[in-house]
Amino acid sequence: MSSDLSDATGAETADAASDADGEQPLVRVEGLEKYFWENDSLIDRLLGDEPVAVRAVDGVSFDIHEGETLGLVGESGCGKSTTGETLLRLQEPTNGRVEFDGENVYDLDGSELTDFRRSAQVVFQDPFSSLDPRMTIGDIVQQPLDVHDVGTEAEREERVRDLLERVGLSVDQLDRFPHEFSGGQRQRIGIARALALDPEFLVLDEPTSALDVSVQAQVLNLLDDLQTEFDLTYLLISHDLSVIRHICDRVAVMYLGEIVEVGPADDLFEDPRHPYTQALLESVPRASTAEQDRDIETLSGDVPSPRDPPSGCRFRTRCPKVIPPADLEIEQADFRELMDLRERIERRDVSLETVGEDGRFEFEDGSVPERDVSAFVTALKDRLLDRDLPAEHDAVVEEALTELATSNWDAAAETLRAEYQSVCERENPPLETPASWAGADVDSSEGEDHPVACHLYAESTRSAPEPDP
Amino acid sequence: MTETEMDTTTRNTNAEEILRVSGLSTRFFTQEGQVNAVSDLDLRIERGEVFGIVGESGSGKSVTARSLMDLIEPPGEITEGKIEYNDPDLADAVRDDYPQAVDGEYVDLLEVPADVRESLRGTSFSMIFQDPESSFNPTLTVGEQLAEAVEVQRRASARPRSTRAKTQDYTLASFALSTVLPSREYVSEESRERAIELLEMVGIPDPVERADEYPHEYSGGMLQRAMIAQALAGEPDVLVADEPTTALDVTIQAQILDLLAEIQEETGMTIVLITHNLGVIARMCDRVGVMYAGEIVERGTLEDVFDDHVHPYTEGLLGSIPDLEGARGRLQPIPGNVPSLLDSEMEDRCYFADRCPNAMEDCLDHPPEYDADGSADHEVRCVLAERDYEESRALPEGYFGETERPAADKHADPDRTEEDVQPERAEQPVDDSGGDRL
Repeated sequence: MSSDLSDATGAETADAASDADGEQPLVRVEGLEKYFWENDSLIDRLLGDEPVAVRAVDGVSFDIHEGETLGLVGESGCGKSTTGETLLRLQEPTNGRVEFDGENVYDLDGSELTDFRRSAQVVFQDPFSSLDPRMTIGDIVQQPLDVHDVGTEAEREERVRDLLERVGLSVDQLDRFPHEFSGGQRQRIGIARALALDPEFLVLDEPTSALDVSVQAQVLNLLDDLQTEFDLTYLLISHDLSVIRHICDRVAVMYLGEIVEVGPADDLFEDPRHPYTQALLESVPRASTAEQDRDIETLSGDVPSPRDPPSGCRFRTRCPKVIPPADLEIEQADFRELMDLRERIERRDVSLETVGEDGRFEFEDGSVPERDVSAFVTALKDRLLDRDLPAEHDAVVEEALTELATSNWDAAAETLRAEYQSVCERENPPLETPASWAGADVDSSEGEDHPVACHLYAESTRSAPEPDP
Repeated sequence: MTETEMDTTTRNTNAEEILRVSGLSTRFFTQEGQVNAVSDLDLRIERGEVFGIVGESGSGKSVTARSLMDLIEPPGEITEGKIEYNDPDLADAVRDDYPQAVDGEYVDLLEVPADVRESLRGTSFSMIFQDPESSFNPTLTVGEQLAEAVEVQRRASARPRSTRAKTQDYTLASFALSTVLPSREYVSEESRERAIELLEMVGIPDPVERADEYPHEYSGGMLQRAMIAQALAGEPDVLVADEPTTALDVTIQAQILDLLAEIQEETGMTIVLITHNLGVIARMCDRVGVMYAGEIVERGTLEDVFDDHVHPYTEGLLGSIPDLEGARGRLQPIPGNVPSLLDSEMEDRCYFADRCPNAMEDCLDHPPEYDADGSADHEVRCVLAERDYEESRALPEGYFGETERPAADKHADPDRTEEDVQPERAEQPVDDSGGDRL
């Protein structure tokens, strides 16, 4: 449509990149952690229950440069909204540091904190619950100006009129109440309110997920225009990958409280490195007639609980590319199967009493009678494994399952661990730009920063990373 | 690719229409006035296909689904139309009592009494809903609820065309008795086993243990699988899926879509898939209908609608989606909002004309469905199918009021006064219809 506008965005991207070289970023997040505590009430303490940490955000670091849009993408429950709220200090962090314009946000108080609040604003997801139903929209947009005591009454009113016009509402609607507006219009009111204090930085928390697709497009275009006009910096939180792709300069992918990959949007979408990012992109159905011929390898299973995240790499429980021990010859699919089996045995998530068809095995004191053991193992293997494994691995599995015949979970888990322990469960991979990769792939990365947290790209684990399919 | 083409051709040559909907109108009589949620809707659904209905919130797609299932509740009512279902056995059974309802092998479901319609639910028609968390009873185990569905179908098939089996066999007294007398238990051992089989069929690991868990112990994706299992309990011919993946994350959505496709392939079931997500449509469907303001404005094969679409609304809908693969540009949104469906505010014109970039004088008459290029199924409710857009006949800018401001979601109604401004969402008759709020 308007080529000049997209050019302007392009120029900004370039600016952002040059900022990256020299100047400091507008927002710098370092090791941010936010835990929520369960069983933490007084009564729980009196009863001696240990509090349980829900690790919503667990050590997240990224920079946002002036004028850019950073996208934070992930599935529900991965901690992306908590990250946004915590970095605005709407929640107190458990640990970590957020610098805004060079100052630690969590050390601010008094007038400095007020200044920070003015320059960093937020637009919430749900336009139906984030506007006070008893205030007119004029009052809603004016409220931040009143709170921060900006200008005279007349000036504030003038400002409110300007803002409403700017976001595409008409000034004669000033006296209406939120319920008189549609979802798209309410989101515009929320945006006008966020812009009232002339902020530098906006956190957009799922700004369009409650809207229809045609209205979503209007709001996305508006956000694009406002960024150009007011030199805004955005942190866009969304689960919708196509929205992220459309408006972000850089993208960070979150999984279970951690960032697994950060990179320039084009680079990350065309050349996703982390197996999770790859799976995520693959899962999105495309609106085109070629879609039915596209093969999707869906991820199995669900996201694990953040109360007890997996050791090492958190994605390893679902990762199709989980790394076998170096000295082991095994097909990837077989290894995935074995890892799933181990996971279930380690979590004791198998009901031994119900193994077998009609004539179930008798358990006495947690053991199957000696004569039934081999039948029990066969039945259990049948139930737990969907694939036939090569003979040598089959033997190991049978050995482990034999331990289960006497309900010896630890020994079963240990047998499998000794044989199949993966680097993915031992170490949590750091988020770093793989040296070998950046060199090998100059074309797409253009020397830009594209770190990824995955052992596939570490020097020591594999000689060369597998190319994308 | 060639395989799909083969499928399509074989389907078209011996296509048998399992469901023929003609002139269906569903209206809601509310305090604000009559809401025309679905008006004069025609549908032809072939046996074994996946038919998609796509539209924005308030376009009437969920009401269409509920009308098919006979789940419209007051103040709603199906005021006109026929829903003809192809079932020779049913036709024979009701021919004597209701001759006016039977046409060859087809039975007009709206002409037979409600209890006959009800007896078809589960065995002939089944539905899965958008929100699995609120569709299960939190106080019963998943296995029990599935077994109940199986039991209902088992008893119903023992006494076909009777609803007694479903409603009157089990009372509070029998519940009280069942706690002491095992013989009075509502759910039999066979049903329980069948429930476990169903859970296994939809890919729930350890179905035996999982059957004894409560809905809150399941994740969203697993619950959606369980709901699919429940819908399959009666081995239905037609499955109506109303936004089956909207509440789910993309990786889980992909799993559920795969599962539905697998089941469809195995059982040859017909699926009517309702969604606002064009990607889901593209992934799953053979034919598509695009709904706007209670009507199907464009229908045809997937290729017709995605590649050769004629209606400017279809164009706008496709243009509004940010592209996952392409370069970034400005989106081409449709200006304005989904229109009000209040009868008093609906003028007799093309309902899209006020948002349409190509509105002409011809659009002031309500357009019929025209045949369009492409496959034989391709029909479109727009004059552009017949004639090209002519600048000279275009409606003057601002004809419908303040629509010229593209950024504003102004309600486009020139006669509208301050008092009757209603929020678009509040006008939606079915409160859980939207698939778009996530």
